[in-house]
Amino acid sequence: MWHGPLEKITDYKFRIPKSYQPGMRVDGIIYADEKLLQGIKKDKAPQQVANVAFLPGIVNNSFAMPDIHWGYGFPIGGVAATDPDNGGVISPGGVGFDINCGIRLVKTNLEEKDVKDRVTNLINSLYQKIPSGVGSKGELRISKEEEKRLLVNGAGWAVRKGLGVDADLEFCAEGGAIDGADPDSVSDRAYERGKHQAGTLGSGNHFVEVQVIENIFDREAAEKLGLFIGQITVMIHTGSRGFGYQVCDDYVRIMVQCLSKYGINLPDRQLACAPINSPEAKRYIGAMRAAANYAWANRQVLTHRVRESFERVFDKSWQTLGMDLIYDVAHNIAKFEKHVVNGKEKMLCIHRKGATRAFGPGHPDLPLKYQEIGQPVIIPGDMGTASYLLLGTEQAKETFYSTCHGAGRVKSRHEALRTVNLETLITELNNKGIQVRATGKKTIVEEAPSAYKNIDDVVDVVHKAGLSKKVCRIRPLCVLKG
Amino acid sequence: MKEYEFIEHTADIGIRVYGKSLEDLFKNAANALFDIILDYPSKQLKQKQITLGADTVEDLFVIWLNELISCFFADKFLPADYSIKIEDSSQRKQLRASLCGQDFDPYENKINTEVKAATYHNVKIEKSEKGYKVEVIFDV
Repeated sequence: MWHGPLEKITDYKFRIPKSYQPGMRVDGIIYADEKLLQGIKKDKAPQQVANVAFLPGIVNNSFAMPDIHWGYGFPIGGVAATDPDNGGVISPGGVGFDINCGIRLVKTNLEEKDVKDRVTNLINSLYQKIPSGVGSKGELRISKEEEKRLLVNGAGWAVRKGLGVDADLEFCAEGGAIDGADPDSVSDRAYERGKHQAGTLGSGNHFVEVQVIENIFDREAAEKLGLFIGQITVMIHTGSRGFGYQVCDDYVRIMVQCLSKYGINLPDRQLACAPINSPEAKRYIGAMRAAANYAWANRQVLTHRVRESFERVFDKSWQTLGMDLIYDVAHNIAKFEKHVVNGKEKMLCIHRKGATRAFGPGHPDLPLKYQEIGQPVIIPGDMGTASYLLLGTEQAKETFYSTCHGAGRVKSRHEALRTVNLETLITELNNKGIQVRATGKKTIVEEAPSAYKNIDDVVDVVHKAGLSKKVCRIRPLCVLKG
Repeated sequence: MKEYEFIEHTADIGIRVYGKSLEDLFKNAANALFDIILDYPSKQLKQKQITLGADTVEDLFVIWLNELISCFFADKFLPADYSIKIEDSSQRKQLRASLCGQDFDPYENKINTEVKAATYHNVKIEKSEKGYKVEVIFDV
């Protein structure tokens, strides 16, 4: 329970002043409304916002999005920018173990009436095509040399294997592969874990979901995105699997030892970090980018499997079905981006741990198609409610163009297992017209809608705070979980 | 004396571990970890040696658990029993462990939970008359 200060700045913005604890270099800022704030105060997430404010070289504020919840080190929903020219650090804990956990949205030209009688076929086909569940193993067999190429080329590696088209890369953040990946900074253990899992969904909150657009808030933007009410879309949520977990573990171990080496004092060792210009940080950045590219390759392979599933069920090519990528964006990553600080443009290291980059209109890193409207921001909700497509705004420069990443948990997995009955849950979902398939039944219960905040509340806050704007609300039809 | 119990954590899995000695604490935490990962009686078919060093006993504890996670998911080794020796009197804390276990492929066999890692978050080993106690959060 949080008993520290939370000063109201606006209806959607609250401050933990840096005077709260000696050692905080900047204020903590939490985006929420009074309703969400009551839940946020119940766990240790606000203290984690304060802890992040201790990072050397942190710029402006330690931010938290309205889906914030208790993580380890950083809160989930945390954003921190550090300045390499001012002693700024990079913290593997500010990225997380699932490096480039992220989400992509694929559209179709199908309507709800076209799929209504084929939802069961679709979910069965997806279940057959997509390896999912704990320890899942992909169909791809890759040697270490091949894995190195994957780590450098990301989604492009998959496209060159025939698992996608060039247009897919245009609509991935970073073109589906971030520059500067260094396969030589990756341990043998990470390679070993990675070789089994390219093209796998995993478990936990990862999913593939077939959905229908049920509400449009911004008709003009939706038209430019080629979206309409009743349209079928597919959302894919996964990351870098065991490869990323091992990279993070390898480097947190190293960075914990950097704390004494570089004289850094932090309230939580999971925030372990090193100055961006140090050799340890440079190696981490190379390995972290390799893991990010692994995740982009993974989501590209899964996209291909999704397209194959639709082709099988509808007996048409995916191109005929209009299954183009709307966008793919990471929500666990550290990236170097140019931002204006005190009137000067600076290259900063932006940590987003459970937060989504959300560039506004005109940003040079956006594809030409989105220059006018801003970056598509994909926000998955729980499997029984809805997801959202938002667009980035210019106002989000106050959070280094960052917004929320999902609904955010309120119940622990154990509490969900204690309080949710599997049969009742499946009946409730079926009554809403939602079918669920999972390798592990436990996963379905752990991921029950009641374990999450209300996605409408979370998205309303970022919309009203101006961090991104609502385009459409998308309802699930069938969900493949791990 | 119970070996461990679960504690609430919003996103992940937390455990509170008890031990009569530091070695006992480390062993009980390892047992808890593999209870979370899978339900499988490991056989003592082969041995593996682990040597680790850290600045603090807490760091050593987290590194130990992460080493076991990597041994399982990367080296595909499932331990069944542990003989642990911890040297914590000098400035650099050291662990030497001999593990008995078996080869186990987590990608071919059923497991229950894919534990990503043990975290350093709020790890504090407490010593009292009854023995040792620590809480640790696993990212799952």
